[in-house]
Amino acid sequence: MTAIRIRRRPPLTGMARREARHGFLFILPWIIGFVVFTLTPMVATFVFTFLNISLEDQGPVRFVGLDNYARLLGDEQAWESLWVTTRYALMWLPVVVVLPFLLALVVNSSRVRGTGLLRVMLFMPYVVPFVAGGLIWQNMLVEDGWVNSALQWIGISDPPSWWNDATWVTPGLVMVGLWGLGAGIIINLAGLQAMPNDLYDAARLDGAGWWRQLVNVTVPMMSPVIFYTLILAVVEVLQYFLIPLVLFNGTGDPDGATRFFNLYLYQTFFTYQEMSYGSTLAWLLFVITLIVTLVLFRASRRWVYYRSER
Amino acid sequence: MKIRLRLLAALGATVLALAACGSGSDAGSGSGSGSGSNAAPVEIRWFCCLGTGEQAEQVKAQQKVVDDFNRKQKKIRLKLEVVTYNVARDTLATQIASGNGPDIVGPVGIGGAAAFNGQWADLGPLMKEANFDLSPFEKGSVDLYRIGSVQEGIPFAIYPSTVFYKADMFEEAGLAVPPHKYGEKYKWPDGRESEWNYETLKELARKLTVDKNGKDATESGFDAKNIVQYGFEPARDDLRYQGSAFGAASLDSGDGKTVKIPDTWADAWRYFYDSMWKDKFVMTGQVFETDQFNGEGAAFFSGNVAMSVNFLWSTYGVAGAGKDWNVAAMPSHKGKTTSPTSADTFRILAKSKHPKEAFEVLSHLVGPASNELLAAYGAMPARTADQDAFFDVLAKQFTNEVDWQVVKDSVQFADNPHSELHTPKYNQTLTILGTYRSRWMTKSGLNMDNELKKLQDEIQAVWNN
Repeated sequence: MTAIRIRRRPPLTGMARREARHGFLFILPWIIGFVVFTLTPMVATFVFTFLNISLEDQGPVRFVGLDNYARLLGDEQAWESLWVTTRYALMWLPVVVVLPFLLALVVNSSRVRGTGLLRVMLFMPYVVPFVAGGLIWQNMLVEDGWVNSALQWIGISDPPSWWNDATWVTPGLVMVGLWGLGAGIIINLAGLQAMPNDLYDAARLDGAGWWRQLVNVTVPMMSPVIFYTLILAVVEVLQYFLIPLVLFNGTGDPDGATRFFNLYLYQTFFTYQEMSYGSTLAWLLFVITLIVTLVLFRASRRWVYYRSER
Repeated sequence: MKIRLRLLAALGATVLALAACGSGSDAGSGSGSGSGSNAAPVEIRWFCCLGTGEQAEQVKAQQKVVDDFNRKQKKIRLKLEVVTYNVARDTLATQIASGNGPDIVGPVGIGGAAAFNGQWADLGPLMKEANFDLSPFEKGSVDLYRIGSVQEGIPFAIYPSTVFYKADMFEEAGLAVPPHKYGEKYKWPDGRESEWNYETLKELARKLTVDKNGKDATESGFDAKNIVQYGFEPARDDLRYQGSAFGAASLDSGDGKTVKIPDTWADAWRYFYDSMWKDKFVMTGQVFETDQFNGEGAAFFSGNVAMSVNFLWSTYGVAGAGKDWNVAAMPSHKGKTTSPTSADTFRILAKSKHPKEAFEVLSHLVGPASNELLAAYGAMPARTADQDAFFDVLAKQFTNEVDWQVVKDSVQFADNPHSELHTPKYNQTLTILGTYRSRWMTKSGLNMDNELKKLQDEIQAVWNN
């Protein structure tokens, strides 16, 4: 093993300095946007967490120390909402990671006919606005909707009450989410089509069948893509908000089973008008997202294979 | 490269200068308002719809009022901002929080206003300055808008509750219709007479709940899984409304800190739960969601429900129930009758930059423009002199003869204290009540005593924060 020697960066030439300056000028609008619309609000919300800003309480704004954090620890609704989000994540993440990969394998296979048509069909729902898709699914999953009619037709006499049963509403939301798998399929398909054929040739020469090739060649080579979709899905699931808001008007019905953490955060800010406590919830979400992402990145070292790495 | 950079810088400076000019001219028009004959008019923003007002016909009627007002004078430019009910509360909260609140909000009910407690202007000084006359209104309705010494609103529209019923279903079952006069007894076919209360209503509703084989809920062999007609539909949207139909009360025990579920409300909620899961004369949440029974959000409009308690505003969709509906007196509970009454008006936000002009608009809305607006909202005028004319117009919308006197008589049984009055942590309390309401509607086998205890504890925990 050779020790890494840290070298001092050589001074920039006049031309390099000019290029650096121009480069900086080009990214300046983004930096300004980031500072104004992201960094400043983040800092502001962090400061809010130590104050008592609430539209409902008309008293003066004052420093309350860690009161909001103490309240968070005892706020059963916050932890219940976090559990609602976690429960959805446990159901949704395997679906959103595995299903697009499997479907991409199908539409990438030379043995399947009509893959062009299949690709279009699988991607088309993604073009429909998510809210519109959600509303369509809402009607399909009502008590006497198409899904239950189909279930009754195949002999299930007492089909689930998707939107009125706290047990079934999460699987119902997962079904609504299937509408948006098109993007994941495209990403996986792009990854599969970029796979080098020589690896498969070598595997075949070694006597590997379809399954071996999938497990020992395709999955490791696709692991960066799978990891990418996983990270996106985790961030998306922690921000999950729109569909429960649209389908249930943000009520959390049935029985609080759709009061996702992000929805609770939104309600705390805008419905309950508790800006400081809402900021505290937002920071909790930020910290959770950060920790989960860091853990995933750390764990990825064990299972994600980058071909360019040595 | 230098030339390009200079070009970019010049372009940036031009954009900034234009932006500055733009904001400068805005500021100029604002500061110059009200001074001199050529001054720009003061803009008054009217925010709708924390209550009614979002239906296409209503928006059209409101816009006409705005256009007429703007045409008749040049000092104020009134602007209507319609935000649909589902998002109106959050939108208004956001606008207020960002310092961009409107001037006038309405029509807004007691509950909608309570959600923004402390943010309404005191109209007292403005009324005094404008010599506004409150004598055409009943004192009780004026007091409804007085919070302590602050007069937050002027009476505008009231919506008493009555029992809506379908006469043909009673006729088919060989039963007399519910009494139209308060204090009158219900007459059974065998000549027996019962006090018109919720127990009588239950007995009646069970007879009017019919399965697909034509058997009613009192008969053996009744198929509760295949009900085609329900006997009763209570006020389903809000547990407080359900509670106050049994007796006016509040969750606040009186000290502004302690939660106490009123006995009448507990009775109402037990009644509601049992009527769905035990007695089967009220549909469960699951059934309510089906096309067969969900008539545009109100089960009675489906035409498959015999009786329903609802506010007067449900006349907007009641035609869906058929041509044989009518209204009857509210039942009593433990000898006391209550008709939960909703009341809408317009309010001015305390942070309005132009309170005087906003009050001028508000006076117009509750004054000269009121009849036009009340007709659009289907609301009974709070101004007693206008009530007969209102019912004459309303009656023309229906081919069946409706006993509107019942509605007028119901006013004297209005709930006081009002169920929607402000309580601590108002919006959180509503959320918790909504969650329990959803659970009771969708889950059988619950122990209601435990549920009520849990509900009280949960709300108390929020109030303690």
